[in-house]
Amino acid sequence: MRVNNILYRYCLFSLLIVLGCRDPFEPEIVSQDLALLVVEGYIEIDGDSEIILSRTSTVRDTSNVRMVTGARVYVSPESGNSFWDFDEAEDLNGHYSFTGNFEANQNYYLNILLPNGQMYQSELLTPVITPEIEELGWLRDDGGVEIFVSTQGDTDAKYFLWSFNEDWIFFPGVSSFLIYEDGGVRARTEEERVDRCWDATRQPRIVLQNSARFEGNLIVERELVRIPPLSEKLQRRYSIEVIQRAIDQDAFDFWEILRKNSDDIGGIFSPLPSLIGGNIHSIEGNSEENVIGHISMGRSARKRIYIDGTDVFPWRVEIPEYEFCNLSQDTIAVNLASSRFRSGLEIPAREVFQDFFLIGYRSGSRACVDCTLRGSNVRPDFWED
Amino acid sequence: MRMRSLLMIIFLFLLGQNLFAQDEAQRFNAMYPGITFPRFARLIESQSDYHFYFLEKDIADIQVNISASDNTLPQMLQAIFEGTELKFSIDQEKRVFVSKNQALSVSLRPDFFTFAQEGDGDDGLGRQKDIAREFSRNKLYVIGSPSTKKEAVLRGKITGLDTGDPVFGAVIFERINYTRAIANEEGEYAITLPVGRHTLFIQNLGGFIEQRQISLQGDGLLDISIEENIISLDEVTISSEKMTNIARPEMGVQSLNIQSMRKLPAVLGEVDVIRSILTLPGVQTVGEASVGFNVRGGAADQNLILMNHATIYNPSHLFGLFSAFNPDMVESVELYKAGIPVQYGGRLSSVLEVNSKYGNPDKIQVAGGIGLMTSRLTVEGPIGENTTFMIGGRTTYSDWILDLLEENTDFNDARASFYDFNFNISHQLNEKNIIRLNTYTSRDNFRFDRDTTFLYENRNINLSWTHYLNEKTEAELVVGRDMYSFDIEGRDNPSNAYDFGYNIQQDFAKINFNYEYSDQHKLNFGVHSIRYRLQPGRLSPSGESSIVMEEAVNQEQALETSFFIGDNFEIDDRLTVNYGLRWAIYNYLGPNTIREYQDGLPISAPNLIAERNFDGGSIINTYHGPEFRLSARYILDNISSIKAGYNTGRQFIHLITNNAAIAPTDIWKLSDPNINPQWGDQLSIGYYRNLKIDKYEFSVEAYHRNLRNLIDFRSGATLILNNAVEQDVLRTDGRAYGAEFLLKKNTGKLNGWVSYTYSRSLLRTADDELAEKINGGNWYPSNFDQPHNAVLVGNYEWSKRFSTSINANYSTGRPITLPTAQFNYGGNERVYFSDRNAYRIPDYFRIDLSVNLEGNHKVRKLAHSSWSVGVYNLLGRRNPYSVYFTPVNGVLEGFQLSIFAQPIPFITYNFRI
Repeated sequence: MRVNNILYRYCLFSLLIVLGCRDPFEPEIVSQDLALLVVEGYIEIDGDSEIILSRTSTVRDTSNVRMVTGARVYVSPESGNSFWDFDEAEDLNGHYSFTGNFEANQNYYLNILLPNGQMYQSELLTPVITPEIEELGWLRDDGGVEIFVSTQGDTDAKYFLWSFNEDWIFFPGVSSFLIYEDGGVRARTEEERVDRCWDATRQPRIVLQNSARFEGNLIVERELVRIPPLSEKLQRRYSIEVIQRAIDQDAFDFWEILRKNSDDIGGIFSPLPSLIGGNIHSIEGNSEENVIGHISMGRSARKRIYIDGTDVFPWRVEIPEYEFCNLSQDTIAVNLASSRFRSGLEIPAREVFQDFFLIGYRSGSRACVDCTLRGSNVRPDFWED
Repeated sequence: MRMRSLLMIIFLFLLGQNLFAQDEAQRFNAMYPGITFPRFARLIESQSDYHFYFLEKDIADIQVNISASDNTLPQMLQAIFEGTELKFSIDQEKRVFVSKNQALSVSLRPDFFTFAQEGDGDDGLGRQKDIAREFSRNKLYVIGSPSTKKEAVLRGKITGLDTGDPVFGAVIFERINYTRAIANEEGEYAITLPVGRHTLFIQNLGGFIEQRQISLQGDGLLDISIEENIISLDEVTISSEKMTNIARPEMGVQSLNIQSMRKLPAVLGEVDVIRSILTLPGVQTVGEASVGFNVRGGAADQNLILMNHATIYNPSHLFGLFSAFNPDMVESVELYKAGIPVQYGGRLSSVLEVNSKYGNPDKIQVAGGIGLMTSRLTVEGPIGENTTFMIGGRTTYSDWILDLLEENTDFNDARASFYDFNFNISHQLNEKNIIRLNTYTSRDNFRFDRDTTFLYENRNINLSWTHYLNEKTEAELVVGRDMYSFDIEGRDNPSNAYDFGYNIQQDFAKINFNYEYSDQHKLNFGVHSIRYRLQPGRLSPSGESSIVMEEAVNQEQALETSFFIGDNFEIDDRLTVNYGLRWAIYNYLGPNTIREYQDGLPISAPNLIAERNFDGGSIINTYHGPEFRLSARYILDNISSIKAGYNTGRQFIHLITNNAAIAPTDIWKLSDPNINPQWGDQLSIGYYRNLKIDKYEFSVEAYHRNLRNLIDFRSGATLILNNAVEQDVLRTDGRAYGAEFLLKKNTGKLNGWVSYTYSRSLLRTADDELAEKINGGNWYPSNFDQPHNAVLVGNYEWSKRFSTSINANYSTGRPITLPTAQFNYGGNERVYFSDRNAYRIPDYFRIDLSVNLEGNHKVRKLAHSSWSVGVYNLLGRRNPYSVYFTPVNGVLEGFQLSIFAQPIPFITYNFRI
C-alpha cells in the first residue's frame, strides 16, 4: 500500500510534467479600446435574414456587448441600382432583419452605413444552396447523449457550418399549483404555472466540417453537441433544431480561424493565433480599419428532432439549484398564510387537510418552487408534445 | 610561476609528454629588450614546446636583455645567467629547470635499474610492507651509511597498498629543489638527492600524496606502498586544449565534452546533450518541452544535427523532455555557431556535431544507469586486435507505473515510452585504413488519451572508410542513409479511424580530404551529395468501416550536391586565415506536379494558371550558388586574440510549422519552383582572452545575420496535408544580431562558466510578397526573439568523489500574440489578437542543483558506481511555456501553461563494470 502511494505521488509528478500546469495570467495588456466594427449574420435567399452589428470591447470588459444602433443596412445587386433595406428590430439593439427573396444565380453586396457617416461594403456575395440534412440523430453512451448530423455534400457545397438551438422542459425542486393572492391562496391558472418551464440555448456553438475530406463528400455522424449525464435537458423532453449552411472556402477559413483562436489555443501543439478579418471592408474614411465578420449568402437547411426522457431511460437528473429543496415540515395555518406568503419569498405548495377541513399549507422557498426564475413557462410556438 | 601550479603542470606533462617530442635544436630569432625572466619564459613557451620551472624568488633580480639571432635556448640561457648563481638544465621533454647554485640532474644513470635489481647496497630499514602507513609517514628513515659524498642515490620500488602491484608512473619528489623521479613499469625508481634530511612525496597520478621522512646518509633503498587511486583519464584535461579558445582560427565554436555535461544538473537525472548546449551563449529555446533550439536568432530547422555523420531530424524523446542521445555513447559535442567548417552545409544557423564512441580497445566494459523513468546500458570493448565496438540502449518504463495507477487517476489512458539504440564498430584494416560502421535508431510512442497515438522514429546507418594516403593526406569516404518518420494513429471511432504520417529519407555519400600541403597551408576539400525522398503527408483510413478518404501529398525528390574546398593558412605566428568556398547545386526532381502562378500576382488559388506534370527522374528545376566561409584570427599576445568571420549558407529543406517549437506534427518540405531556398549570411567579430595563467577564459563575440526566403505562415494557414503549401506561406526576410559574453573557469575545485547574450531576431514579410503583409510589412520579432539571456553553471568539487553543481538560467520571455479586444460571434465570446508577436510571455528563470557521488575506486570492486541526486527547477518557479485566453463563465480569462511547474527531484544510479 505504501509503495503504491509513493508511486502514485511520483506519477503525479511525472504526469505534471507531461500535462503541465495551468495558472491565471494577467498581463498589463494595452487597455486601449479598439472598438472595431463586428458584423455577423447570414442572408437567406428565401426567408428571414438577419445582420447584427456590434463593436469590440477591451479584453477585461465584462459589461454587455456594445451594439451598433441607427445604422442603415441594405443589400444591393452586383449591377443595377435597386437595393433591399433591412429594418432594425425595436426590441433588439443592433439586430437588422429583412424578409424576402433574392435570386440564387445573382451576386450581391451587403452595405452598411453607420450614423457617423462611415461606409462599409462586403466583398461580392455568391449565394450557395445548402443540401438537405440527411440525418439528425442521437446516440446514448457512457458519456451521455451525443447528437450528430449526417449530410451529403457536392462539388458546390463542400464546406459546412452548423449552428443549433436547443429547448427543453425542466421541473423545479418543489411543485406547486397554488398561488397567494390578495390575502388568500388559490389554484394557479395555466398561465400562472410555475411547476414546468422551458429553458433554451440559442446557437451556443458553431461546428465546421470540410466534406472534401471524405469519400463522396459524405459526412457521416458528425458530432454537434453532447448532453452530459445528469443534465436536466433530458428530464422530460428536449428539442434541437439544427441549421446547416454550405459556405464558400473564404467563409470556412474565417470560421476556422475564429474557432482556432478561441478553442484551440494554449496547448503544447497549438498553432499560433491569427489575425482575423472577414469580407467586410471600409470603403470611405479609414480604409485601413479592420472590420471583423464574414457574411455568407444562400439557402440554409433546417431540421428539428425531439428526445424524450423515456427514450433514454433511466436518466438521472441533478439540478444544483434544486439540490436542497424540500417541502416545509411545518404546516402554516390558514390564518397565518397572509403574513408568511406576503413577502413572496415563500410560496404555498400543498394544502393540508384534517377531517376534510383545510387547516393550512405546506410551502417551499421561491427559488425551489418558481421555475420561471430559470426559464419560461410559456410553451414555445414550435413545441410539439 | 607559482608553486601550486607546478605540481599540476608536472602531472599534466607526464600525460602530455609524447605530444611534445620535437626536434632538439629549435632556434630563435627575436629581440628580448629588458624584460623580466617570467615574461621571457612565457614568450619562449608561446613560440616553442619548452616549459619553464623556476622559483620566483630565484629569478627576481634577473633582467633579460638579449637579441637572439638563430640561437638555441641553451645559448640564450647561458647568456642570461652568466655571472649569476643560477643554473639550468633541460630534459628530453623540453622542460627547463632553473635552480640556484647547482643544475638539476635530469637523467638517470644508465646502469641504474640493473643496479637496483641486484639488491646491492644498504637497505635502510628493510622492507616496509608490514608497517602501518601512519607510522611510515612520520617515522624518520635513516638510509645508507655516512660517507664523504655530498649526494646519494635513493632507490626502491613503489607498490600498491592493496594490490601489491608495482605502480607505474608514480612520482617521487621533494619540495625544496623539486628534484623528482618517476617509477618505471616495474614500479622502480631512483632519485639523486643531497645527503641530509628530506621530506619525500610520492604521488600516483591524480591520487593521494604519500610522504616519507628520510635522513639520507649514503646510497640506499626505500620501498614504498601507496594507495592506488583509479582516476579515469577522461577527467584530466590536456593543458594544450586551454589555448584553443585563443588559438583556433574559427569563431563561434563551442565544445563540450561528456565530463562537463555530466556535471550539469539534469532533468530526471539524465545527462542531456541538447540541454547542455542550451547553457552556452547564443543558444536558446522557446520552451522547456520543445525539441528545437535556436542558435543566434535562427529557426530550429536551421540546425544541422549530426551524430557520427548521421543527420538526426528529431533530436529528442517525448517531444523534448529528453534528448535523443544516449549520454554513455557520447564522447563530445561541438556546436558551430558561426565558423561552420566548409565540409558542412545545408543549414543556415549551426552545426551540432555529436561524436559518439567506438569502444574501449583494452577490455570489455559494461556501463549503465538506472533512473526513475529511464534506464540505459552500454557494452563496449575489443573484438580481436583491430576491432572495437560499442552498443548502447536506453528505454523508459513509465508505462508500468501508469498501469499501477489505473484505478486512481484520470490519466489512465496516457502512455509515453521511447527507446534508442546505438551500435558503432570500428575496424582497423591496417595502418592506413580504418572502417567504421555507425547505426542509430530511436522510437517514441505517446498518447494523452486512448484515441490518438503519436509515433516517431529516427533510423540512421552509415559506413565510413578513413584512408591515409600518405603522411600528409587523409581521406574519408562515408555512405549512409538517414530516415525519419512520424505517425499519428487516430482511433476516435471506427468510421473516422485514420493513420496520418510523413517521412523523410536521405541517402548520402561524401568524400572529404585533409591535406597538409605545407606547414602553412592545410587544405580540406571534397564532395557531398544527398538524395532526398520526402513523403510530406498522407492520410489513410484504418479498418474496414472507416470512411476517411485516402489523401496524400505528392512525394518529393531532390538531389543536393556540394563541392567544397577550404584552406587553413597560417600566415605567421599571429595571423591565421581560414577561407573556403562551397558550391551547392540543388535539383528538384520528378515525378511531381508543379503549379504555375501568374507573374506579379500573389501565389494563391485564383492565380493558378497551369499545372505541369513531370516524370520520374526528370529535373524540375535547379538552384545553385556559392557559399563563402572566411574567418581570421590574430593573436595579440600570448593570452589574447581577436577573430573575425563572414560566411554565407543555403538551405533547401524547410520545416513548415506554425508552432513556436518543433512539434512532432510539423512537416518538412523541399524547395521547389514556388518555394525558394533559404539564404543567410553572418558577419561576426570576437575578442578572446585567458586570464590568470589560463585559469579563466573570457570571450566576447558580436554578430549580424541577414536571412532571406524564410517561411512564415499566412493567417489561418492549413499546413498539414496541403499539396499547395506555397499558397499558405509567406516569403519572409530575417535579421538577427547580438553579442555573447562568456567567462569560464576551467580548473580548480570551483569551475564553471557565466554567460550573457544579447540577441535579437526579427522578421519582415519580403518586399516582393504580395499575398499578405504581416504587421503592415514592418519588422516584427520572430517566435524565438529573446533579447536577454544569462546562464551560470557552477561546479564545486568537495573531493574527487563528491561534487555539487548549480545551473541558473534567465531569459527574456519569448514573443507572443496577445488578445487586445473581445467580441461576440457565433454565440461565443471571441478574441481579437494583436499584431503578430507584439507582446511577450513573462521572463524565464530557473535554478537547478545536483549532487554527484562517485563510489570508491578500489580496483577489485565489482562495479564502479556513482549516484546523481538533484532537483530541477529548485525554486519551483512556474515558468510559462505558453499563454492563452479562453472564455470562462463568459469572462475572458488568461492562462499560462507551465511544463515543469514544480521542483522536480531526481535520482540516478550509474555503474560501470
